[in-house]
Amino acid sequence: MIDSFGTISSFSSLPLANALFVSLLAMLEAGTGPVIVGLFEATAGIGVVGLLESSFGFEWVGAFAAVASVAPLEGLDTVARILIEGLGKASIYFIIAIGLTLVFGLMGVLNFAHGAFAMVGSYVGGVLMVLLVASSAGAAARIVFFVVVVAIVFALLTAVGATLEVGLVRPIYDRTPMYQILLTFGVGLILEEVARIVATARGIQPEPKWSGAQATIPSALDAPSEILLTLFGARIRGFYLFAIVAGAILAVVVWAFLTRTLYGLYIRAGSEDSEMVEALGIDVRRAFTIVFGLGTGLAAVGGVFLMWDPTAGPSVLLNLEVLLYAFVVVVIGGLGSFKGTVVAALVVGLADSLTTWLFTSGTVPFPGLSEVTLFTLLVIALVIRPQGLYGVEEVGGH
Amino acid sequence: MVHVAVIAFFAVYPIVYGPLTAFPALDVGVGIVDPGAFFDAFLPAATFLIAMLFLGLFAMSFDFVSGYTGYLSFGHAAFYGIGAYFIVLVANGKVPGLPDSTPFMVTMLLGALLAVVFALAIGAVSFRLSGVYFAMLTLGFAQVLYQLVRNWDYVGSNPQQGPNLAGPTPEVGVPYVDSLSVALGRLAGDSFENVLGTGIDVSATMTSYYAIGIIVVLSYFAMQRIIHSPFGRVMIAIRENEERARAVGYNVFWYKMAAFAMSAFFAAIAGALFAAYRSSASPDTTFYFLVTADALIVTIIGGIGTLAGPLFGAFTFEWLEDVLSSQQGGLAPYLRGGLPESVLNADVAGVTFLDVINTVIDGRAPLYLGIVFVLFVLFVPNGLLGSIRDRLGGTVASRLPAHLERYRR
Repeated sequence: MIDSFGTISSFSSLPLANALFVSLLAMLEAGTGPVIVGLFEATAGIGVVGLLESSFGFEWVGAFAAVASVAPLEGLDTVARILIEGLGKASIYFIIAIGLTLVFGLMGVLNFAHGAFAMVGSYVGGVLMVLLVASSAGAAARIVFFVVVVAIVFALLTAVGATLEVGLVRPIYDRTPMYQILLTFGVGLILEEVARIVATARGIQPEPKWSGAQATIPSALDAPSEILLTLFGARIRGFYLFAIVAGAILAVVVWAFLTRTLYGLYIRAGSEDSEMVEALGIDVRRAFTIVFGLGTGLAAVGGVFLMWDPTAGPSVLLNLEVLLYAFVVVVIGGLGSFKGTVVAALVVGLADSLTTWLFTSGTVPFPGLSEVTLFTLLVIALVIRPQGLYGVEEVGGH
Repeated sequence: MVHVAVIAFFAVYPIVYGPLTAFPALDVGVGIVDPGAFFDAFLPAATFLIAMLFLGLFAMSFDFVSGYTGYLSFGHAAFYGIGAYFIVLVANGKVPGLPDSTPFMVTMLLGALLAVVFALAIGAVSFRLSGVYFAMLTLGFAQVLYQLVRNWDYVGSNPQQGPNLAGPTPEVGVPYVDSLSVALGRLAGDSFENVLGTGIDVSATMTSYYAIGIIVVLSYFAMQRIIHSPFGRVMIAIRENEERARAVGYNVFWYKMAAFAMSAFFAAIAGALFAAYRSSASPDTTFYFLVTADALIVTIIGGIGTLAGPLFGAFTFEWLEDVLSSQQGGLAPYLRGGLPESVLNADVAGVTFLDVINTVIDGRAPLYLGIVFVLFVLFVPNGLLGSIRDRLGGTVASRLPAHLERYRR
């Protein structure tokens, strides 16, 4: 037990974190209970971020090093598991956060309805999947269906988002940013209740996950992946491999959209100085509508994705879960920064999988762990670097 | 004057509520009119008024810092939760040094001071940031606390459900003077019959309502006093233009810290009252992010930047909750009982009117609240009280007499 903690403290570059660790270890020996464990959590976070800070610009290397430092202690399969699960989680975090980043980056609107859009996407995707997948459909067919469903949901919710922007958000751009937060928050509330009504009326229990939709996952993704089993001997759910591929594709697509298309140019320019862009004769309003639509569509894609995630699944509660997670990632990365979102998703995903392993490998059981990891990371990141890893403090006009 | 009128309204309301709902049904020839059932369905009951009181106080404390200094405190539920948990833990004898017989008022103030300590710690870090970042950082702190409390098995056997109050019934009043204290709680509290020979009975619920109401009113006047003091003017100056306030020579950091700490103090009192009345506390009803969101919603509806506004917002909120609830005299039971069978079972495309009532009205307060909230944000950004003030050109208390004078002639 002490060994594993000792290893962790060796990669914390802050003396403060080390000192805290020593005292905490003593307290852990005395067995003072879960609060202490929570403190330990916090300190582990300090260690990770401290390392990231010290390696300027190479934050993710730090996170990998943290994982790698476990290697001497455990076998290759454990390291592979932590890394691949971490990357899988990072992909999921990226998918649910990227839409929020785009919207904030251009418009300075912190979209509190983001989670609700993801939840709606999850339900709509679930309905479509259940309709498409007959019980006989094979793994390949299910994945093809999934791609089709993602495309349909994306198109649908993009249209919904664009309509909402024109109808509700547009009239209040001239007010302080707080009112846009409030408005989108209200939209989220309404969507959540509507989803609850529809789910109840259709006989889908709104709060536990909708197992019907979750069951459409091909068995190859639900079970430990054979590829990873032969490569590293690690028993990792195939879903994480699928997540990594999907996250990477999405990241490339968004990156290409931002850097290779005309609208991407408008968005990047608009993020810097939307008044100047407007003065150059570009219709920023239309760009706002399109980006809000795309943000909504991306949130919904995240929702479809979470439908297959063993720890998520379609439920009304997904609204707040996605919202809070997306906030953490976006804030750590720096509001409105694409690069920041990628890096923050990696940091958070790897930290999540590392701490999950630490606390579930039998040493200290601590439920509700990933949220604590997440928010501890958020607090520490903001304390050390208020504008986020790649953020500029002026973005958003505050 | 206006204050007196508002307080008098809330004081008299529960006394009037009883007779109104007990109004007998009348046969007026064409049909039966039942005003009692109507009032029962459309007026908020006393239990909802009590919820209004602690939600209102919590929202006022939220507005105190968010509305007056302009710093959106998105993790305000943390202080509410600290107040609530402190009460329950002390009453259960789980806080070292404080016996379970410690008077409620003392516990409440100590809990509020504990919240102040937390607020100073959180504020010291958070006030280096502003705007969205400040909101996110306070939210982050509150969520960390939420998760810790949820998993802290010291508080009770099931920390996710939260602890129940096992100790003595909390007594509100002057500590150590038994005759000036009344016990709180709907089931365990004090009740009085034929008060002062007036023939009015005060039930346990109503006793709690008045006892909690007095604390809320005192807290309101305390906060109002602070807002109207030079300190409060500096808070508003910070909201309007922080740079300029700094340039004038104020140490804005310490002003913000002090405002945040005072706000936490009153938030913890609201939490303590909540826990005392409910005899329990749970992470989801105290520390959770949605509790802050409730305060935010009622503040916007009532009017942000008006201290009394949140109370009226909370009244609207609880009124909606009561009308749309199925438990005691809501709209759904009223319609189910009052409409003829043929209307209820009228079938339109496989959906009967009864189904519509059951799914769209019964217990759907959050939906309509969300709609009301969005409409307020879009069309009434200053809220109920703020809009009235804009119309009158000043606070209601100072403007209303002159206004009425004009119509009298």
